[in-house]
Amino acid sequence: MSTMNTSAVSGIDGHGDSLWLKAARKFKRDRVGMWALFGVFIYAVIALGVVFGFWGGAWADVTGPKWAPVSAEYWFGTNIIGQDIFARALYSTRTAFEVGLLVAIGATALGAVFGAVAGFFSGTWIDEIIIWVMGVLDSVPFILLVAAIAYSLGGSPWAMHIAMIATFWIGTARLVRGEVIKLKTLEYVEAAHAIGLGKVKIIFRHILPNTFHILLVQATISFVAAIKSEVILSFLGLGVKDGMSWGLMISESTFEVLAGFFNNFIAASVLMFGLVMAFNMFSDALQDALDPRSVK
Amino acid sequence: MIAMTAKARAKSSDILLSVRDLVVEFATDQGIVRAVDGVSFTIKAGETVGLVGESGCGKTVTGLAILGLIPSPPGRIVSGSIELQGQDLTQLSEPELRKIRGSEISMIFQEPMTALNPVFRIGSQMIDVLRRHQQLSKRQAHAAAIEMLAKVGIPDPAVRIEEYPHQLSGGMRQRVMIAMALSCGPKLLIADEPTTALDVTTQAQVIEQIIKLQSEFGMAMILITHDLGVVAETCRQAIVMYCGSVLENAPVTELFAHPRHPYTLGLLGSIPRLQADRQTKLPIISGMVPDLLHLPSGCRFADRCNKVMQQCRQQRPLLGALPDTSTKVACYDPH
Amino acid sequence: MEILQYSLRKLIAGIPLVLGVTLISFLLIVYFGPDKTYDLLGKNPTAEEIAEVRSQLGYDRPFVPRYLEYLHEVITFDFGNSESTDEKVSTILSRTIPVSIALALPGFILGNVLGVMFALLAAYFRGRWIDKFIMGFAAIGMSISFLIAIIGFQILLSSSDGLDLFPVRGWDTSTPLQYLRYVTVPTLATVFIALGYNTRFYRAVIVEEMTRDHVRTAKAFGTPPARLFYRNILKNSMIPIVTRIVFSIPFIVISGSLLLESYFGIPGIGKVTYDAIITGDQPVLKAVVALTAILFVVAQLLTDICYRAVDPRVSLK
Repeated sequence: MSTMNTSAVSGIDGHGDSLWLKAARKFKRDRVGMWALFGVFIYAVIALGVVFGFWGGAWADVTGPKWAPVSAEYWFGTNIIGQDIFARALYSTRTAFEVGLLVAIGATALGAVFGAVAGFFSGTWIDEIIIWVMGVLDSVPFILLVAAIAYSLGGSPWAMHIAMIATFWIGTARLVRGEVIKLKTLEYVEAAHAIGLGKVKIIFRHILPNTFHILLVQATISFVAAIKSEVILSFLGLGVKDGMSWGLMISESTFEVLAGFFNNFIAASVLMFGLVMAFNMFSDALQDALDPRSVK
Repeated sequence: MIAMTAKARAKSSDILLSVRDLVVEFATDQGIVRAVDGVSFTIKAGETVGLVGESGCGKTVTGLAILGLIPSPPGRIVSGSIELQGQDLTQLSEPELRKIRGSEISMIFQEPMTALNPVFRIGSQMIDVLRRHQQLSKRQAHAAAIEMLAKVGIPDPAVRIEEYPHQLSGGMRQRVMIAMALSCGPKLLIADEPTTALDVTTQAQVIEQIIKLQSEFGMAMILITHDLGVVAETCRQAIVMYCGSVLENAPVTELFAHPRHPYTLGLLGSIPRLQADRQTKLPIISGMVPDLLHLPSGCRFADRCNKVMQQCRQQRPLLGALPDTSTKVACYDPH
Repeated sequence: MEILQYSLRKLIAGIPLVLGVTLISFLLIVYFGPDKTYDLLGKNPTAEEIAEVRSQLGYDRPFVPRYLEYLHEVITFDFGNSESTDEKVSTILSRTIPVSIALALPGFILGNVLGVMFALLAAYFRGRWIDKFIMGFAAIGMSISFLIAIIGFQILLSSSDGLDLFPVRGWDTSTPLQYLRYVTVPTLATVFIALGYNTRFYRAVIVEEMTRDHVRTAKAFGTPPARLFYRNILKNSMIPIVTRIVFSIPFIVISGSLLLESYFGIPGIGKVTYDAIITGDQPVLKAVVALTAILFVVAQLLTDICYRAVDPRVSLK
């Protein structure tokens, strides 16, 4: 039980290193988590390769015949107008990371700030207003919100990203708010008050860093949600406007599958499934490793 | 075979419970933790035994093991026996154990606030237990429950029985737990820190109530506690546990007059006394309780003991009777 | 009587939410929304013509009166006529909502009932292979896009490359058999996806209840497993489970079926909403948004009443 004492002590001066070290050690022992991380890494390499122009650059070129089968030249075949599905699938990986990262960072940052402020001022009108905003945004159907934001931005390609950030931050903010309400009664926060630190400084320097374990897990969850939403929004014509994505590939493929040509559909589905699955498992393992309730 | 051993022990026929070489292990991420390591003791009918030690020393796990309630996985009873009147509980099937739980042996827990089911009335929970173990009609069980509530000192039991746990105070809830535990007339009550979560005045009342009912019902009791004061007041026999094993097992009067194990001595030393000189500091046991994952190979207390010898670090001293006393101690050089 | 009073109080407390949702949607859809002026004008309009159309559409009026007008529409639930079909919006809703319910209900019920059942199984055999199997399956379900599941089931069951048992798309409820033929594939896709999320959520809830102190107490008093499960675990887990189920209702009715309906060409409210999004049909969009907000407040009220029924600690005060 001495281990419990030390973790309780290190909890007071901020999480200290011990929680993160312990989490890292626990994560390394999690075989599924490590494999998942490896999978995400491979996808990230593919995406970076597209960014630096190593591959996937020819996604828009019509290079082959219509519906060419899988061959040495066209690894995944070609689509209805003869574009290389392999190049398109690779390029879409980049799009997925772009959407996922932007939304994850945006939503997590927004959730952290509003959650921390609401939690710190819990019981006051500031908290009430933030809760009200969260309730309101939660009650607007997601797809309608995307459409509405797209309208008001005059069909901007960023409407999808903004709409996702505008909804995904809420879950994070709720968790952070709850944690901050717990944290602000701890001694070190009261000590910070006592020595006269400003509220902003207390929130962002002393409280928020201690919710980082929540933010990390929430960011992975937002990442996955963004990738999954992109597919549906792109299919509905509300998603990726210029460029190529798994959602657009699947949308394209809905005509092809009825004609018995599955390459486009399978390539996008399988690649997307792999990334989402790997990220989900990574997220789970991370959550396990960071869960303070799991003893040792 | 079993009949033979039972008979052999029958000469001390008043032995109710006999725990022998009990070993309980838990699987954790970092390896196997041995929470109880070779614990042995006996309890006579009607006797009160205090199981004392710091939190995490295995006393609660021992209590749970007696009822077969070790959460499994990750825990399991690795070896040893727990005999209730000659019947080995570790060999019983789950349905057989269920017949014993709450009727032959009852257990009450530390947290009265959460130990009762919040969504059922206390009457419903008590009647549930009564009718499970006894052939009672609903009406009879209801009457019996009210009677038990009155016995544990709950005013207006006929009204209270219709209430939900959250409507009662902590002390009242613990009384309800006691009423439930005693309702089927168990031979043994395991009380796991029954008063720790209560405020001080309530603590005294609840302990008093337990002792009164215990003599009235003539049952034996294992009182699990870290409070030596409570043990001095209530128990005949005390068992001192440390890191999963028994260090000393002695009659309470003996234990307080002549603590034999250095750890017991340390424990007794850290109780504040009113008469003592205000100037002297309370003696404390230096060092920390070792991690159960990395126990020393010799005596578990060696690192904190001021009398430690070479031998202590090499081989664990076994619990043995001290000549001319009824004290058993696990130390090479007892006081 | 107490319930009635409570409900009234709750509904009044829900007004800020409805106000907020209508405000946001009004701002985005109408105030900053697409300018319809030129849709109504011929080629080369004069300045007077433009001004006339703008005043017809109310664009020349300040924000507050226009928003109040929308609120008036919400209260009377009269949103005027659809801009694309000129049908009365309330008529459209009353025609399409039953279709959406008929489409979504089987999947909704199956997804939750099976979800709870699998979750109970997994929780009961926690850590054993059966738990790992169920949770592995749930993880796969969670990682597949709804769209991919829809297309996948369509290929498997409705196309000539698959079993070819069901119609590819469309909707027909003239006979129960026809209904079954059309509802099966969308339902399978829904259940497949919902099961992943539901099973995981419900298992977490049930496992949490299983480790509560009162469960240990009940065990210590010899409660047999079936009774323990019912009295100590299931009844206590009902609160989060019911909350999740009730709160998913507004989305099921309004937008949950949007993808299904537009993919399979089913004339429900999801399809109507999607068409309204594409054409910028403001009266329909305003109605859908307002309806969702109101359903949300009602859902909140329903869960509170359910809490009261399950948990004696919650009082209606």
